[in-house]
Amino acid sequence: MTARDLLTRSNLLGAALVVVLLVLPSLATAYFVNFVMTQTFILGLAAATIVFLAKYGGMISLAQFLLFGVAGFMFGNAAQETGARGLNLGWHPWAAVVFALAVTTAAAFVLGALASRSTGLYFLMLTMVYAVIGYYVFAQIVEISGPGGLTSIQRPDLLGPPVRLYYAGLGLSVLAYVGFRAVGRTAFGLALQGVRDDPVRMASLGFNVPLHRALAFTLAGFAAGAGGLLNVWWNGQIDPASIAIGPTLILLIIAVIGGISSFEGAWLGAFVYVLIFTYLRDLPLIDRVGITEARFNTVIGVIVLVIMMLSPEGLTGIARRLRRRLRPPARTGPAPSTGPPLPVRTTEKELGVTRR
Amino acid sequence: MAHTGTAPSAPSGPPGPSGPAGPAPVVEVRAVTVAFGGLLALRDIDLAIARGERLAVLGPNGAGKTTLFNVIAGDVTPAAGSVVIKGVECVHRPSRYRPRLGVARTYQKARALAGLTVRENIYLALAGLRGRHRPLWRTAADRRMGEEAADVAHRVWLAGQLDAAAGELSHGQQRQLELGMAIATRPDVMLLDEPASGLSRGERERLVELLESFDEELTLLLVEHDMDVAFRIARRVVVMADGEQVTAGTPEQVRADPQVHRIYLGTEAPA
Repeated sequence: MTARDLLTRSNLLGAALVVVLLVLPSLATAYFVNFVMTQTFILGLAAATIVFLAKYGGMISLAQFLLFGVAGFMFGNAAQETGARGLNLGWHPWAAVVFALAVTTAAAFVLGALASRSTGLYFLMLTMVYAVIGYYVFAQIVEISGPGGLTSIQRPDLLGPPVRLYYAGLGLSVLAYVGFRAVGRTAFGLALQGVRDDPVRMASLGFNVPLHRALAFTLAGFAAGAGGLLNVWWNGQIDPASIAIGPTLILLIIAVIGGISSFEGAWLGAFVYVLIFTYLRDLPLIDRVGITEARFNTVIGVIVLVIMMLSPEGLTGIARRLRRRLRPPARTGPAPSTGPPLPVRTTEKELGVTRR
Repeated sequence: MAHTGTAPSAPSGPPGPSGPAGPAPVVEVRAVTVAFGGLLALRDIDLAIARGERLAVLGPNGAGKTTLFNVIAGDVTPAAGSVVIKGVECVHRPSRYRPRLGVARTYQKARALAGLTVRENIYLALAGLRGRHRPLWRTAADRRMGEEAADVAHRVWLAGQLDAAAGELSHGQQRQLELGMAIATRPDVMLLDEPASGLSRGERERLVELLESFDEELTLLLVEHDMDVAFRIARRVVVMADGEQVTAGTPEQVRADPQVHRIYLGTEAPA
């Protein structure tokens, strides 16, 4: 790939967006940066792991939020010192980071291996079972979740000021976005897409299909774990209720709002979700029409419903369609098809859930 | 069914007139029986295929051709019997071991990977064989395999569709891609499941031309519904019906066999 190939319009747009986000802390209010945007990055990162598995592997996973939580609990147990709840191992924070990511990745491999022969709806159900079991594990084994959760978890000194956490979220998000997309063009990613399209075919080409699925799940679990660490640093605490089935579903909803087959959609969906939950209450007269805080989930539900009806590809699908309509027809014709040796296809993929 | 262990020499040989002579067969199917529920799809089938042989398996729909094929390719595990490929007992080895033994197959319904491009499909056939399954970064090896894939695409007349998604190809082009994915790995044994089905006359001509251009050493097992294509490619023909072998012989012998006419009368007039 030459430098010239990198100068596509979407790459430039992405770079411009990153620049804006880099200077955002000096443009926007601290609340917007440290609350809205940091949370967007964290949830977007977690949702991107759902997109990764769905888009390339045809696997819709409900276990990503559990892995997100495992990393948080493990960090809390390892890093906190005596006197706090949990195991109080009192390790150095970065040792705790390594430990948390290792446990999360190992858990992802085991769960992925167990689910590696299921696809479609069965995979979804199985990962939902994981989420429920995971919740009860942490809710009932209070030694590792502290009665009522782990509180006052300190983040590493390096990430002390909130704006550093914002930058960490931005950095990890960019890394995940670029990384996940790049993986799609590697041998591993192409084989994963092959497994999505036709596992029987891939086996006859020599691939170990279940292992491939398990490894994809492991990779996604690792990334979800990184998001989970950011989350526990941002929150300063974690309790079993925060990984219950409700939040688990919200992560899937975020992915669906954004568009489950596009990585941009993960962060876009997270942004929309956080915006609604943060600013809906400030809209004038909103409480007069009966939308109080307790009704926010209803609003989210209606939005999801509308998006599903308008565009199964989510907000990114809507954006893509608008762009196509606005662009002069001459340019939509023969698209220039230069690209890397193994270019990503331009066709939009549906979920691939119904494929075998 | 009489599954008599592993007696390497003297294969029981098909009852047909021209069983393979000479060295040990490349593929040997012994007393294979497959049952789907109550249905016996294959009943005690024996088949030995010599190196470089061009063998066609004919028969009406439901004769068990594809099942036999799937047993050899490892997609179906038989209830009894054994499959030996190049001296390796393969009956309980999943299909993913076949490429290492130099076996490639195509599917009756084109099963190209719909969401990937032609180049990526062929690339995966190469990557699958060479064990390049899990790297998370691209290297020069990937680029070379991409170029190799382009060469193969050229051989199966898909040079113009290199970057088209396989799912958007026409039916004929998908069959070409199937063939491309099979020949990309330079197999010693190629299993072609109804390669001509659904092709136009012109496409059939090209297919036959391609199959005839293969190396003499390549062993070709062809399942065909279309007798025309089968007779042009094959030097030996096995005819099956209702999960059993009916007859076997040279194309001329089989063409003249009244039994074959009877079997085919209901479904297709003899050529």
